[in-house]
Amino acid sequence: MSIFHADHLPALLAGLGIALIGAPLSVFVVLKRLAFIGQGVSHAAFGGVGVALVLGFAGSSVTDSVMQSIIILSFSIGAALVIAALGRSNRGRIDTAIGIVLSASMALGFILFNIAESRHDHDDHGHAHGAHADEHHVIEEILFGNILDANWNMVWATLVAGGLILTALWWFRHKLVFWSFDEPVCAAYGVREYRTGNLLLILLALAVVMSMQVVGVILAAAILVLPGAAALHLSSRLRVVMIWSLAIALGGTVIGFVIGDASHWPIGPSIVLVQSCAYLGALGSNKAMGALRSS
Amino acid sequence: MNEPNQNQLPAVDIRDVAFRYPPSGVGEQGIEVLSDITMRVQPNTRLGILGPNGGGKSTLIKLILGILEPNAGEISVFGHRPTQARRKGLIGYLPQRIGADLDWPLSVEQVIAMPLRAKLKPWQKLSDEDQASIDRAIELLEVDQLRDRRIGALSGGQLQRTMIARAISTRPKLLVLDEPTLGVDIAGQQRFSSLIDTISDELGLTTIVVTHDMRALVAVADRVACLSRTLHFHDTPDGLTPAVLAQVFAHDIEPILGAVHIDAHAADDCDDPAHAHHHDCGHDHKGDAS
Repeated sequence: MSIFHADHLPALLAGLGIALIGAPLSVFVVLKRLAFIGQGVSHAAFGGVGVALVLGFAGSSVTDSVMQSIIILSFSIGAALVIAALGRSNRGRIDTAIGIVLSASMALGFILFNIAESRHDHDDHGHAHGAHADEHHVIEEILFGNILDANWNMVWATLVAGGLILTALWWFRHKLVFWSFDEPVCAAYGVREYRTGNLLLILLALAVVMSMQVVGVILAAAILVLPGAAALHLSSRLRVVMIWSLAIALGGTVIGFVIGDASHWPIGPSIVLVQSCAYLGALGSNKAMGALRSS
Repeated sequence: MNEPNQNQLPAVDIRDVAFRYPPSGVGEQGIEVLSDITMRVQPNTRLGILGPNGGGKSTLIKLILGILEPNAGEISVFGHRPTQARRKGLIGYLPQRIGADLDWPLSVEQVIAMPLRAKLKPWQKLSDEDQASIDRAIELLEVDQLRDRRIGALSGGQLQRTMIARAISTRPKLLVLDEPTLGVDIAGQQRFSSLIDTISDELGLTTIVVTHDMRALVAVADRVACLSRTLHFHDTPDGLTPAVLAQVFAHDIEPILGAVHIDAHAADDCDDPAHAHHHDCGHDHKGDAS
């Protein structure tokens, strides 16, 4: 039995690339309680998509989609840094900052979509109706992603971004762990707290934008939470947690892909559901172990 | 020799230092926390800094650590600017509240090694010398049995010893402890004092202990500085008189003695950003002061 079509290979590779990025980052995201920032950044990316569309980059050619990615990425990184700065100036009330940036970006994105759309209608009277449906399709793809659209360009983009993220994580691992573990004190030992925090946020924004392409805005943050959240129930050693996280991210992607492909479910959401099941399993086994130990 | 001779320099030299927190909100004034502080701490001293909450103790610590910059005056630590001294690993620091995230899957040894690891280049491993000072810190703080224990599975006392071990793992020359005996009973304080004595002797440390608790202080310190917005006293502990203490803890004593006049500053203390996290805001230690 062939598990999936050969022309789905780029999609699978892009998915695995995202899993590779999400695995280590999600451990930081969960422990540093950045899950909601991930949501904020991924929704902010929707605003970035709007900006790109209004500027005329709809992703129809290679340069077009590169420009689009750059705009979305800059917008998301900007949003992450604005969230951090607002949170700091607001006596650490980061949830308020996220709420503001998230809704403002969504609102901006939707308005810009409409502007781009009406401009499109204006240019193209005869096909107004078709264009409308098209825009809605675009929005749906941005929100929920369509991994099967992945081409080799996307695979390369994921590889480059993933390589960048993993290298940065490895390069700054000691400082990042110190900052995440003990932010109030790390400055006293020469770890610059704002710089280190911003670095993690930038990596997070980059990862969100990459995973958005695969699972869409709504589910992107899940990929950056679930593997780490599950892994942290399975071990109390950082190294082992990282390995579990990697296994869950990669395994969840492959299984989600196979299930989605076989049953014609959308693949992105299938991956997220499989990883969610892994989380429940990890939680359950942790509780069971605890019960065994205490009995 | 390019390096200043660290044995002849004062450990900490504070000259005419003033500090004011910037306004924290619309229509608020900045708060003058410290003014006119001049103090010299000689090497191998055990200095206790005593003062009421909101008196500027934690702020002075942050200035010595170089986390804050004074608005006026200068501070040097073994002849270096505080930020430089920190970068050279000359200062070990135990914060007032342990703010670390104990959910992290890290062992006691990993936590103690953290400051030294943070200084490594990405491809480097801990040197033998670094590993030796980590082992020494572990031995001195008696956490050898706990090396592989998860950081979240420690008792309060074990966690504090781990954090002090982390503070001395970088082979500092100055150890700064901010309210280390907060909420510790008398027996615990005595054990803690002798521990600090041992560490300071063994490692030739200059130690600064900040506290609002006199009992903790007298046991440890061979010098006392009394701080309430400015320096009221800096000498050996037996020079402390009731008059000095009454002056330093004036804000706390007045309400106890039923004085009609309560200085406006007492209310300000609760707004002091350095002490915003104090839940007690100067009501906890009246018994000590009276």
